[in-house]
Amino acid sequence: MAGTNDTGFSGVSRRRGRIFAGLAKAASWLGVVVLAWLLLMVVIDAFGLGAASTGWYLGGLVGFGVPFVGYAGYLVLRRPDLRWTAVRATVIPPAGLIFAGALFVLFLVFEPFFWFLYYSVAILPAVAVYGHFASREDTRAPLIAGAVGLLGAAISFFVEPLIGIMPLPWIMLNWVLVIPAGALIAYRQATGNRGRQATLLGATVAGGVLASFVGPVLIGVTSDTAVILYAAFVLPVAWYNGAVLSKNTGDWPGLLAPVVAIGSIAAGIALGDFIGTAGPDPVLDWQFLTNNASTIPADAGLFPAIVGSVFIIAIVAIVSFVVGVGAAIYLEEYAPQTGLGGTITRFIRVNIANLAGVPSVVYGLLGLGLFVNLIGMGLGIVLVAGLTLSLLILPIVIISAQEAIRSVPEDVRQASYGMGATRWQTIRNVVLPRAVPGVLTGTILALSRAIGETAPLLMIGAATTVFRPPTGFASQVSAMPLQVFYWSFHQKSAFRELIAPAGVVTLLVVMLSMNVLAIYLRNRYERNA
Amino acid sequence: MTDVSDTPDLSGDRGFQNVREGFYKATFFAFAAATVLTTVGIFLVLFVDAIGFFAAYSPIDFLTGFDWSPSLEPVSFGVLPLVFGTLVVTFTAAIIAIPVGTLTAVYLSEYAAPRTRAILKPLLEILAGVPTVIYGFFALVYVTPVIEFFFPGVSTFNVLSASLMVGIMTIPMVSSISEDAMSAVPDSLRQAGYGMGATKYEVTTDIIVPAATSGIVSSYILAISRAIGETMIVTVAMGMQSSIPTVQTATVFGIGIPFVHPGEVFLGSGQTMTAAMVQIANSDIAGGTLAYKSLFAIGLTLFAITLLMNVISNIISERYREEY
Repeated sequence: MAGTNDTGFSGVSRRRGRIFAGLAKAASWLGVVVLAWLLLMVVIDAFGLGAASTGWYLGGLVGFGVPFVGYAGYLVLRRPDLRWTAVRATVIPPAGLIFAGALFVLFLVFEPFFWFLYYSVAILPAVAVYGHFASREDTRAPLIAGAVGLLGAAISFFVEPLIGIMPLPWIMLNWVLVIPAGALIAYRQATGNRGRQATLLGATVAGGVLASFVGPVLIGVTSDTAVILYAAFVLPVAWYNGAVLSKNTGDWPGLLAPVVAIGSIAAGIALGDFIGTAGPDPVLDWQFLTNNASTIPADAGLFPAIVGSVFIIAIVAIVSFVVGVGAAIYLEEYAPQTGLGGTITRFIRVNIANLAGVPSVVYGLLGLGLFVNLIGMGLGIVLVAGLTLSLLILPIVIISAQEAIRSVPEDVRQASYGMGATRWQTIRNVVLPRAVPGVLTGTILALSRAIGETAPLLMIGAATTVFRPPTGFASQVSAMPLQVFYWSFHQKSAFRELIAPAGVVTLLVVMLSMNVLAIYLRNRYERNA
Repeated sequence: MTDVSDTPDLSGDRGFQNVREGFYKATFFAFAAATVLTTVGIFLVLFVDAIGFFAAYSPIDFLTGFDWSPSLEPVSFGVLPLVFGTLVVTFTAAIIAIPVGTLTAVYLSEYAAPRTRAILKPLLEILAGVPTVIYGFFALVYVTPVIEFFFPGVSTFNVLSASLMVGIMTIPMVSSISEDAMSAVPDSLRQAGYGMGATKYEVTTDIIVPAATSGIVSSYILAISRAIGETMIVTVAMGMQSSIPTVQTATVFGIGIPFVHPGEVFLGSGQTMTAAMVQIANSDIAGGTLAYKSLFAIGLTLFAITLLMNVISNIISERYREEY
């Protein structure tokens, strides 16, 4: 074999590499597939889908699929530019309903008069004073506004018990909710055009007054609920649709998305009922979400636990956001890096990293020992639950806020200092506005973790079932995960097999929508950055 | 109107501003210091009641006792059955999460197309974000029947279903940190490997994984620490009976070989340290009793173990990091 170049090289075997790549791919999907299977099972149980006949599914599929696929196909093929319009138009109404629910709970806890008084005497004057001074570029604006607000709050605090006569609830709600919302819409939609601003504001307020009279007649809610629904649901939907339509760019087909979605679901159910023999028997329905807890499976509801979770999350959101972002600002912007101060800074950093790894059940013990035993707050009340969970997610909030603040380029800071801005002015005007999306994403993800936490709440003695929603920050509270925990242990198998899946799906929907919101914010932010 | 003028204010009167700057700095420092106070609080809370417990109950008996029965007379606080339960769960979970998580990280970092990554990563985040009480419910209601299909004698509350679920839950912990470590390996190393004629498999296993070892190992430790501290899955799905298996002896060729029957370990119920804490907190044991104080003794043990593992993980990722 003279003349050949024999290097002993006989080709590379690709088998090993292929097997490895296949294994890696299979492993990556393993967890996701298992989760998908579990979710499918729990959804089937929660909506009683096992009870429906094959004919019902066939009918439902055709009734739902034909209009929905037709519309989606039109969007994808003809108007791909409208996909975000369609998504927003679909997301805003349910988001508005959730917001209305949150407002409803807030007005349940504190009387409308409380909001009316503090809004009129403290918040409104403070905003007015701030606007006045800020428009003159007076740097003392926040300080003066803060003082005015505190004074107003103090006056309200002392005056509140003295006032016997108060306006009707729907008038107060219009004043507190609808007029500011109208002002916001007028400001955003018609900047600089005084006449149009006045028209928009007038139309908004007229709608609010109309809603408080028409609502009770039309959909049978009280007049104050009607105003809340109007402010949180009707106004945003009308605002978004109106804004898209008034641009006259032919984007209106995107706005049909929610109509098509609801219409095709209705058509699917109608056709399914027509063709099939038995429909699904859902446990998770409106009644389940609004009923109080019960010892009879058929009457069991999640309402007190939902309200409890909202209360707890409200505290957690405020405390962990303020403290977490503050701590992150200190660590990234103020903290000394050298000398004794630098040692302290490093210690704080390491400490936060370690706190993030402490098991949640230990935080429960901290809450029990600190808030209940030492300070003497009650066992299992809203405030203790909120503070304990705040401590739990604080490290996560701080770490994500630090990352967001760190990602702001150094040269914009230097530019701001070069213009003579102080450190705080730089943070407020330059750093924070750029870091806000990242901070919000991290906070929402942390909150979605807090809403599912069970062990710390069990440790601080929160009840697994309360029969009435909490009425204040000192009342006994349950939460959605606790209720799920209680049901999965119940002696009656109906609770385990029927009611618990419905609770699981509700909790998952809340948690997943928070995750989706966070991922959406992050993607949007990454696109803009 | 106001006296807005074009001449800058150079008088240098920053009295008010200095006060404001100092105020913000002090406030933010207080917030950062609150995290240190949290740690101090955890230490104090755990120590005070744990010392009370150990004053009344011998630490030796606590650490070497084979019987955990805090509420039934005569009470006994031997922590070994709980430690055994925790070890079984952690070990089983690690057997699932470590290989699967590592392979996931390899796939995401080296093999997956950007499009696949964009789908898979959020899904894994969701896998990590599902509340653990829901995983516990899944293990009890959906996983146990599957196990029953293969092992009909399994009890409703069993160790295996809970351990499998903890394993699935910790996959994303391993994969996300490991993937960060692998992605941080500079591209020049990959290109050098290809330039030497290495296949993708060889580049991955001989270059990327060794270069990212510190991150991968610290992800293992964090995941194990997470599995040790995991509470709700084991509370819901594992039953509330602490157990430690009996050591049997099999005679092979006349020699007695001690062994533990796996069915006894996995198919029966068990209890971990965390689940025992929930059980005590949720029973009507009054504050101040020995059983109540034992809560803090277990809490301290748990806190010490997880803290130690976190510190080790930090040291490994700091010290053995390959600098590029």
